[in-house]
Amino acid sequence: MLIANEQSGDRATLKLSGRFDFHSHRDFRSAYEKLLETGAIREVIINFSEVDYLDSSALGMLLLLREKADGAGKAVVLAGLRGTVKQVLDIANFGKLFTIKP
Amino acid sequence: MSSPSLKILIVDDTPANSKQLEAVARKLGHTAILAANGVEAIARFEADKPDLIFMDIMMPTMDGITAARRIREIATEGWTPIIFFSALDQMQDIVHALEAGGDDYIVKPASLQIVRAKINSYARVLALQQEVQANAEELRNWRLDAEEQSRLGAHVMSRLTDAAGLRDPMIRHFNKPADMFSGDLLCAARAPGEVLNVLLADATGHGLAAALSAMPLTQAFYSMTAKGFPLPSIAEELNRKLKAILPPDRFVAATLAAIDVRNQTVEVWNGGNPDALFINARGEIAMQWASNHPPLGILPDKLFSGMTETVVFHEPGDLVLCSDGLTEAEAPDGAWFGIQGVHDHLAREKSSNHRFTSLLSGIESHLAGQPGRDDISALLVSVPIDRRRQIRFETPTQAHQGHLAEWRLDLSYGAEELRYIDVVPAVLGFATQVHALKPHQGALFLIFSELFNNALDHGLLGLDSATKSWIGGFELYMRQRGERLAKLRHGRIDISFLLHQSDTRAVLDISMTDTGPGFAFETNLNNPTALSAGNELAHGRGIALVKNLCEQLVYSGNGNKVWARYLVSDLIVELDEVDEDATRGAAGAGDDTDLVMF
Repeated sequence: MLIANEQSGDRATLKLSGRFDFHSHRDFRSAYEKLLETGAIREVIINFSEVDYLDSSALGMLLLLREKADGAGKAVVLAGLRGTVKQVLDIANFGKLFTIKP
Repeated sequence: MSSPSLKILIVDDTPANSKQLEAVARKLGHTAILAANGVEAIARFEADKPDLIFMDIMMPTMDGITAARRIREIATEGWTPIIFFSALDQMQDIVHALEAGGDDYIVKPASLQIVRAKINSYARVLALQQEVQANAEELRNWRLDAEEQSRLGAHVMSRLTDAAGLRDPMIRHFNKPADMFSGDLLCAARAPGEVLNVLLADATGHGLAAALSAMPLTQAFYSMTAKGFPLPSIAEELNRKLKAILPPDRFVAATLAAIDVRNQTVEVWNGGNPDALFINARGEIAMQWASNHPPLGILPDKLFSGMTETVVFHEPGDLVLCSDGLTEAEAPDGAWFGIQGVHDHLAREKSSNHRFTSLLSGIESHLAGQPGRDDISALLVSVPIDRRRQIRFETPTQAHQGHLAEWRLDLSYGAEELRYIDVVPAVLGFATQVHALKPHQGALFLIFSELFNNALDHGLLGLDSATKSWIGGFELYMRQRGERLAKLRHGRIDISFLLHQSDTRAVLDISMTDTGPGFAFETNLNNPTALSAGNELAHGRGIALVKNLCEQLVYSGNGNKVWARYLVSDLIVELDEVDEDATRGAAGAGDDTDLVMF
């Protein structure tokens, strides 16, 4: 999985592409940890528009991010959901846990 | 890098050559062992286990080629390089020597510089080899450890998850682990009122870690089912348990279902699993329960919802639960099996048995021999329509020895408690601790839950049972019940149990009074068609059942008081003659009372 990092104002976007699964653990964590340490950032947007596949350990990583972001007083937003990624997140009812934006 | 000190075996029949090599070896910090021919070389090799061998070829007794061949036949732990050191310089001599097991060849006479360089080079290779060997050894130990842990884990798991309940004739199931363990967990058990509860849980990931996450569910599921807790309470407890012990990135998707054949309802809670399906006799999806909640172990208690969806079924069919390992199983071309695949394979057949085999062979051929990437599991419950089914409770044949001590329990619940306490399992928990009552748990559950639900639903909540017989009425009834219960502010239900001796028998009297307005029991209950056991009206069945199970059932007041007598056992009484009629006094056999009896 590739992770691109964009920042504008108090928002940071992690644009993921490829397969988001248990192999992505280290990369994903180091990508968001930097953002959570940055005081100016209030909102972390995870963009899934280029993700082809998401497994349950990826869902676990999102939950971990959510917990850490809560601790740091930052919001997490999931964006760009489509296809199987949207399906997997819908089945897990992540809409009840995260803010979802188109 | 300083090379480690090597033990070098020098095989040469010319002492001058040996001495020269030995001197070089010593200067480089190695030790040397000398042998004058092949036979001695083999003996020294076995006795001293050298790290490196310099081998002459032409020697008396046994030549170097033969010795090398023999040495290679000796089983050793590591690899001992053999460097031939010979005056023979023809290509075929060199090839011959290397084929016999040599690793290198130096033609004599050779410069000491070459010899030194060779020794240094082999010292490096041997050091590397040692490292690789140590790693391999470590890895082997790790693997042995892991296997041992897995073996123990598998044993414990099989004990913990060995569910007699899954052998229920209504159930078919499979669980194909992606690893040695499955992170998918299947459970099934009968609640005291004969309702069948099933659980299909799928923990994050697979293997031992996943299996471990799902494990705490079994005990809570079985004990709460055995006590007759409703599905939403079970879901809440399972969530609470997992939330307390799992790290934030671990969770368990789960489908819970309660199949009540008597009332013809299927109740489902689905959090994170693929849709649960109810396939009717024609192979159509008659009902479908999508995941309505996040998986278990994520939400804190106050945000978690155990809200279930209950549906009435009017025809037989098969309820199918599965994990996403099934729907997301990939064919070699990457296509998912999908919920469509599940439905297609089930719809092809008529009987539950064939449907199950069709699903199983469908997924096998979809995977085309590849192992699944995730654990794959499914559970199929064949749901019959069986309105006239006999309740399988044993009549009390066991005689109670001697006199029976009286036992009494009086409870009173106000609106405040009724809103959140599961009264039926809580009260039965008390009652069935009494030895004499334990064997009657099932019947008592049915009687008590029926009486209590009548008192609550009709007495305090003012619900109309007739609603249930409309199309979609049951769902409406359940919704109204939930809404009204949440708003309940006034009212009380008094419950009283009395286990005592009546003539030569042990009987349990249950009485219940609610503060509701009551109902016109005289007209309702005297209507024989409304209460016959075969009556298909949902609201008539409950009381008819209680009437069947109890010896007497009496309503009084304005219908807000009910009293039931249940026969627990015949007592063994000495001396006195036992009067058959009194012992087996059938319900309504002419007892003189001014109360309505049936």
